[in-house]
Amino acid sequence: MDNKIPRFSRSWRVQHMLLMVSVLLLMISGFSLKYSETFWGKALIFLEGGFQARGSLHRLSAVLLFITAVYHLLYISLTKEGRSEFRGLLPRKSDFVDLKNGILYDLLRKSEKPAFGRYSYREKIQYWAFFIFILLMLLSGIILWFHDYFFAFLPKWAFDVSFMLHGGTAILVILFLLLWHLYIVHLSPGNFPANSSFWHGYVSEKWLKENHLLEYEEMKKKGMTTTKDEREA
Amino acid sequence: MTALLTILLAFFQLAPSSQNTRCFLCHGKESFGVTEQGQFRSLFVSPREFAASIHGKFTCVQCHVDVKVIPHFIRPQKISCLQCHFEGNTAGAPVKWMPERYKESVHAKALEAGNPNAPDCETCHTTHYVKSPTDSTSTTYRKNVPELCGRCHKKQFEAYSKSIHYKALESGVLGAAVCTDCHHEHDVLPPSDPRSSLSPEGVVRTCAKCHSDTLLMEKSDVPVQQPQAYSESFHGIALENGMVKAANCTSCHGHHDILPASNPSSPINPKNLPKTCGKCHPNADQNVAKGKVHIIPGEKSAGVVYYVYTFFKWFTLIVLVFLFVHIILDISGYVRRKYARHE
Repeated sequence: MDNKIPRFSRSWRVQHMLLMVSVLLLMISGFSLKYSETFWGKALIFLEGGFQARGSLHRLSAVLLFITAVYHLLYISLTKEGRSEFRGLLPRKSDFVDLKNGILYDLLRKSEKPAFGRYSYREKIQYWAFFIFILLMLLSGIILWFHDYFFAFLPKWAFDVSFMLHGGTAILVILFLLLWHLYIVHLSPGNFPANSSFWHGYVSEKWLKENHLLEYEEMKKKGMTTTKDEREA
Repeated sequence: MTALLTILLAFFQLAPSSQNTRCFLCHGKESFGVTEQGQFRSLFVSPREFAASIHGKFTCVQCHVDVKVIPHFIRPQKISCLQCHFEGNTAGAPVKWMPERYKESVHAKALEAGNPNAPDCETCHTTHYVKSPTDSTSTTYRKNVPELCGRCHKKQFEAYSKSIHYKALESGVLGAAVCTDCHHEHDVLPPSDPRSSLSPEGVVRTCAKCHSDTLLMEKSDVPVQQPQAYSESFHGIALENGMVKAANCTSCHGHHDILPASNPSSPINPKNLPKTCGKCHPNADQNVAKGKVHIIPGEKSAGVVYYVYTFFKWFTLIVLVFLFVHIILDISGYVRRKYARHE
């Protein structure tokens, strides 16, 4: 019988949910504009209730993303839990060693999988990629949204750069979502069809041992790998 | 006898102008005319000019069918071009879409509504001296079109005559835009009509017709990328999706008196840009002049945008390769480890 080990706090899960909903909506409403001359772009615009409604949806979801970003920044700076999570996500020298060993392991040059902590290079790449993407998207998006206001400060080319940046980053976001995030949490061996910990916050003992050995050992020390019944018994 | 008759008939058929000599006995005199209600009305038709016209080989009575005896004493009925120019005519008159399209035009509608000044076929094509529009002496020859329309549309002609289009036309660029290139010749429709070449969406296509023509633009030394760049811009995409309030070509460039940016009175002169952009964007100031307009990100002329574009192009490609390699490594490692365990 597999033990369920708590891995993500409620706050973490709420942030992930907000991010997921807002980014999905932003992608649907954004790409339908970027590809508005294509058949599927037109179909999406129709489903969104027309061209103007598409714009409103995009801006509304952007507000949600903005709130999520502010919530996250407050979380990692003001709460104890957030600060510790953020420290865990900071890139370290060992990540590069892990990356090298991970590749050697996949090439069968090493028999042992590198032992990962709570966040391996995989999660860190994901986190920091999205951290930068969202910063770029919010900045360029705000300039484009409030262009009438920014006309007083910014030269014309700044709007062209923002436009370019917004569209270019959008492609990177979708690439990372499809080929990195979706692969890691859905399609990769051991996670198919989905790693459901984003929903309830629990992972199985087996999964944690396999994927985050160092974290598992730490949890074991704290006695969190045993269920409530076992502890009481 | 029959042979003689045939020859005679053939003679009259082949040489209609000799038949017209009877008409020109009177109508060929420059002083010929009638006085109607105290006003002299000339009935002169120049035999030389008529012979040079596209209808010069026809006889007068082929159009004036109600003239049976010469001299005639009753005033012939006003003739219609459609007497011959109809589908299935035997006179060999070319039948094109023009008359049908004309019926939809503002001109035909005005005529129908009783405006005596509204133009009919002959207003532009003349009555007796109709010539092909390719004939440089024709009223409908490209170079003569502005003056032709300007006979009625005086204000518009005055504005147009200041424009770069007219200047180019004058200097011999026959492809330079004249009235009919934008307004059409026959199906002149009001800009409020969605079918019009001058509706907000129509304007873009109308300007692009010439401004995306590489040969023509090279001749006039005008960059050819503008229409494409516009259609990829914010304004272009919005307009394409039905936001008619989005700026189209004429919103910034004006229409009849279009001038290049180098001209100080042009609305797109850098000094005038704040005012031009300010029509829609109230905060616009000198900042709007800092940067290029009509840019294509993938071309070096786009300046800083080109470098951002190039960075993203290569970075995205590298990321794509990295992500794919990672997935392939991960899956192949998993499969091979599994296989190795079964060995």
